[in-house]
Amino acid sequence: MKITSSRISQLIFLAIFIILFVNTEYRGKDEISAAINSFFRANPLVTISYILAVKAVNILLIPGIMMILASAILGRFFCGWICPLGTIIDLATVKIRKSIPVKFLKGRFKYYLLFTLLAAALFNVNITGIFDPIAILVRALTFFLYPLLGYTVRSGWTGLYTALGEKRDYLDPLFAFLRDYILPFRETFYPLAFLSLIFFMGILFLERYERRNWCKNLCPLGTLLGIMANFSLFKRIPGKLCTDCGQCKEICPTGFDADTLQKSDCILCMDCKLQCAFKRVKFPFKGVPSIKRERAGGTKPVIGRRVFLGSILSGFLLSRAFVFQLPGQHERLLRPPGVKDEKDFLEKCVRCGECIKVCLRSALYPDYFKAGLYGVFMPVIIPRLGYCEYNCNLCGQVCPTGAIPNLALEKKKTSVIGVAVIDKNHCLPYAKKINCIVCEEHCPIPEKAIRFEVVEERDHSGKAITLKKPYIVEELCNGCGICENKCPLEGKSAIEIFAQRKRLGNV
Amino acid sequence: MKRRDFLKVTLSTLFASQLPAKLMAQANQPVVAVAEGTDWAAITRRAITALGGMKAFVKPGNTVVVKPNIGWDRKPEYAANTHPLVVKAIVDECVKAGAKRVKVFDNTCNDPRRCYENSGIQATLKGLRNVEMKHVERERFKNTKINGSFLKEWELYDEALSADVLINVPIAKHHGLTGLTLGLKNMMGIMGGNRGYIHRNMEDALADLNQTVRSRLTIIDATRILLDHGPQGGSLKDVKVLNRVIASTDIVAADAYATTFFNLNPQDIPTTVAAHKRGLGEMNLSKIKLVKA
Repeated sequence: MKITSSRISQLIFLAIFIILFVNTEYRGKDEISAAINSFFRANPLVTISYILAVKAVNILLIPGIMMILASAILGRFFCGWICPLGTIIDLATVKIRKSIPVKFLKGRFKYYLLFTLLAAALFNVNITGIFDPIAILVRALTFFLYPLLGYTVRSGWTGLYTALGEKRDYLDPLFAFLRDYILPFRETFYPLAFLSLIFFMGILFLERYERRNWCKNLCPLGTLLGIMANFSLFKRIPGKLCTDCGQCKEICPTGFDADTLQKSDCILCMDCKLQCAFKRVKFPFKGVPSIKRERAGGTKPVIGRRVFLGSILSGFLLSRAFVFQLPGQHERLLRPPGVKDEKDFLEKCVRCGECIKVCLRSALYPDYFKAGLYGVFMPVIIPRLGYCEYNCNLCGQVCPTGAIPNLALEKKKTSVIGVAVIDKNHCLPYAKKINCIVCEEHCPIPEKAIRFEVVEERDHSGKAITLKKPYIVEELCNGCGICENKCPLEGKSAIEIFAQRKRLGNV
Repeated sequence: MKRRDFLKVTLSTLFASQLPAKLMAQANQPVVAVAEGTDWAAITRRAITALGGMKAFVKPGNTVVVKPNIGWDRKPEYAANTHPLVVKAIVDECVKAGAKRVKVFDNTCNDPRRCYENSGIQATLKGLRNVEMKHVERERFKNTKINGSFLKEWELYDEALSADVLINVPIAKHHGLTGLTLGLKNMMGIMGGNRGYIHRNMEDALADLNQTVRSRLTIIDATRILLDHGPQGGSLKDVKVLNRVIASTDIVAADAYATTFFNLNPQDIPTTVAAHKRGLGEMNLSKIKLVKA
């Protein structure tokens, strides 16, 4: 592998990506200044699908809009110089033997995919995040690879304890460093880890057929950038393969499927220029482009009428196909704090998994069922596994599109996720006349949203007892779920959070 | 220094440090030392000195566990966790007495990182030699025979079990179920597993636990106390600044005396009563010797 400028840039951005990913975690500070969300805020696919779905512009999207403009001037440089998934593909593809390209993927499939997703967004079903390359990568890391790393190291550490006992403490500084700066704080396993991995591995698997197969033939972000690249001021000279050499076809990772360079596929890696034996290849800045001349030069029309109409139709069908939701599941559809409106949330969420990654108590999990197919990979709270920490608002801080609003802490504390309900058939003081009130102890609301009444009763053997029976003050409960989480009953919790996004009663 | 001065200093130091302990032994009466003042580190040290100084408990080379309450993600002023100045004063005294290692930890209720951070204790202890404040690790809880009246066995933290000296440093505060949480209840921090289970019979469970793992010294932080909405509070309205620290080798006596800060009697707190009945210490205030330090 040659060390070229584009390769160095790729590696730097991959390093930045990994550092930001690891730092998307509570490490002693209430504010996270730099998080992996930068990669989503500067992501044109996220930007455009947000605008189509929400039908409004958000200040958070400005980097994405700038990226669109930059690509219209410079071309698809993102794919060849920045994209961390592209870099991983480039690093992996060297080891993968190629057979012949898949015919099915050639032609206009990628345009159908992109425009179908965008059309669906226009019909209020924003599922582009499922196919966004950065989101695919972050999900594979968050839901599977990173927990796996944590689990592996921690198992080793636990194993050392079995072998050495307290003597293990001599190694503690080493482990403390890993734990404090590298590893996830607790190992959590996620639903959909398998599916997230399949997406990621599938992309690598496609490298069996040709280089940058995903980038060239599928990636909706790449396709979108490719469309912008048609306006680019850079132009490779010569535009065709030279008859006496033709090596570019072998060197080029993306653009030379035919004898003419596909401008929308060129990722500006410059390998052809660097490796040209005759020093013929140049990338001059050629001023305002003329689309007409491009077409004359052999570039296929980007959006044919057929692609456009077909995509609108399939986008509409897809959007309707995705909307079914089982009403019963909604009772426990607990969204992150601050989410006021489910419809709004569905339109804005990128499914990048950042909130899930950052969640302090591992309360958030990728959904696969509760909100129907539409909600796949979106965050839901499962209180029995983890509760929303009262003094934490990290999920809102890292959300790239503001689907989870970035609320000031005082506001977040009073925003309602749901409301706690006691199941008196299970709750000890009610069902068995045994004192407990662990829920009341843990309720973080200063005035206590769980209180208890003191009652003199006789237990089932006739003995006089003083019972403390818990009850909920709905006007104060924010549905953080610590009560459900800490309820000491084995199995089913005797207190559960039910979705509700507005405060009941008057406060 | 002249010989006479030297003798004076030596004798008076000996006298000051040994006398209270001697008196205690002679009278065979549990001593509770109470120190009052706005310098919370100083009153902590005075309370310890009144019991004979840390050297009476910590021998050179000892491994010491200092177990504060760090259960909640609350800042020090909210009186949900032991105050960092109190913890630091105790840790310093242990190191001065020659402790090989001083370990500070708690099995927290909220996120452990936030609790360690927001309690202020982690920052205060940072960089101290021979002092460590690590997060609790699940694999280190050892299934331990208790054979008590309620708890037959439970997972307890290995460092608390293997320490030469365990110093119990609770904060005095309100608790919905047990009325107050003090020294006996603070020992829950060495328990693993589903701790909420013991709420079913808290007083017997805590007596069982404290019978199995004894606190060599109990130092109750009453620099500020939480009067209501305990054990985690969250409103300064419920906090009362008391500027007091009490210390005793008798955990029940310390708890019993601290109860009076809340205008309650020791017999109002079932945990204290059960522990007293179990012979873990004295709760009768008239039988406790109070030393103002």
